[in-house]
Amino acid sequence: MVGGIKVTAIDPVPIEARLRDIQSITDAALSRLDELGLLAELLDRIREIMRVDTAAVLLLDASSGQLIATAAVGLEEEVRQGVRIPVGRGFAGRIAAERRPVILDHVDHTTVLNPILWAKGINSMMGVPMMTRGKVIGVLHVGSLTHRRFTSYDTELLQLAADRAATAVQSMIDQADRVSSTALQLSLVPAALPEVAGMEMAARYVPGRGVLGGDWYDVFTLPSGELCVVMGDVAGSGLAAAVIMGRMRSALRAYALETSDPGEVLDRLDRKMRHFEPDALATVLYAVIDTAREQMRICLAGHFAPVIAAPGLPAEPVRAATGLMIGIGDASRRPVTTVRIPPGALVCLYTDGLIERPGELIDDGLARLCRLVTVQPTEAACAAVMTALIGSEPARDDVALLMIRRRTEDDDGA
Amino acid sequence: MVPDAAFPVEIVSGVPVVTTPEQVDITNADGLRAALLESAGLGHGRLVVDMGRTEFCDTAGLHALVAAHKRALAEGGELRLVVAGAAVQRIFAITGLDRVIPSFTSVQEALKQTPAS
Repeated sequence: MVGGIKVTAIDPVPIEARLRDIQSITDAALSRLDELGLLAELLDRIREIMRVDTAAVLLLDASSGQLIATAAVGLEEEVRQGVRIPVGRGFAGRIAAERRPVILDHVDHTTVLNPILWAKGINSMMGVPMMTRGKVIGVLHVGSLTHRRFTSYDTELLQLAADRAATAVQSMIDQADRVSSTALQLSLVPAALPEVAGMEMAARYVPGRGVLGGDWYDVFTLPSGELCVVMGDVAGSGLAAAVIMGRMRSALRAYALETSDPGEVLDRLDRKMRHFEPDALATVLYAVIDTAREQMRICLAGHFAPVIAAPGLPAEPVRAATGLMIGIGDASRRPVTTVRIPPGALVCLYTDGLIERPGELIDDGLARLCRLVTVQPTEAACAAVMTALIGSEPARDDVALLMIRRRTEDDDGA
Repeated sequence: MVPDAAFPVEIVSGVPVVTTPEQVDITNADGLRAALLESAGLGHGRLVVDMGRTEFCDTAGLHALVAAHKRALAEGGELRLVVAGAAVQRIFAITGLDRVIPSFTSVQEALKQTPAS
């Protein structure tokens, strides 16, 4: 835990004092506070038991690679001014990059980036990384206005406090991530499907166990009267996946207005994603149904082909060639397949969570789905598939399902 | 960083070979990602992922593989896969990954010096 630090002095702290110090930091009463309250209380206690003048927590903002001052005592201006330190630079940046404690006997512009620290007259500093799940999430540091030789005992105690703080902060991040990604996802999946002449539609979206994934679907009409349907799955989970999904959904809608060729739409989407979100990866199905609702032009970017059931015939996967997933990169254009939709036929679009089961071939899952998709009103068709394939167990992955049926002349309310 | 026991890394003829377990999915894809990142630094450009035992790989697993593939290309190296299970072959075909990342039937094949094309 104190790797790389030379310890010269023999530790003078008696065992009773150590226990009291550790008790103060791991005190169960702390856990009744909310996370920001806990950080403030923890910093107060650290300042007291370590007899230091300042204590501060900087949290890592992964997207910018910067440490942001989040809580401080004796150094409140650091938080108020929103101090940001790039990982790898300065005192705190070095701790985050090297993932180990750092002690400074000498504080000035050569060792510390943040002018607040040396302007304050801090003489000696010590900082440790805050880590959870093997990742650095921040830095905890303390400072002394008088010259101070920090010992290995000081480092151990500060690391203990940092571990405590890291757990609390991680739970705060997880909670915020869950709340915001749920809100975002709910805003992105259409609450009600559009009323479209000649077609009947129903859909289901069920988040997976634990955090949300990145499944989405979209249904909209073009000014021409054509009907567009989208089914997608963004790799990843939680807020990050939900944000990417939102961007893909808007971009796809914009390209759909510009060109009626589904292959061109996915090509543009792919270029946009690879340029602006180079780490994103997604499967997307995009189909355009003509104004007569007789046929659809479908383009697959690494996504499963829909299943189609026509009256009097068993359901089967649409025979459409698949193109590359979005986000990998390859010059070749994705193939577009034109599929006839007979009157009364039901088209079933879905994400992998519906048919994939560990220890089973995808084709077995697909065959099972085909047996379940029968010509019937779309709400009933959704219910039948979800009951049989999902049942009462929470799904391990997100599941999105969209059923579209071409009405017949005999249909009521058509 | 503690190596993930689920994704052992072995150096064979100077090439890091990462072996994946029976299932690669959202529950362990972070481990695969970390193992790939770490092992890329051990070799000289080429990196082999032995998925011979793997029977299931979801989008999260594909994401980790694609990230490693892109990183290898950017650094002038190459990611090669060893794929045996029918289920994994199928998902690679559906997503188009088999057209982008070279795959082989055994580690010996993947280690042969000729660049895949």
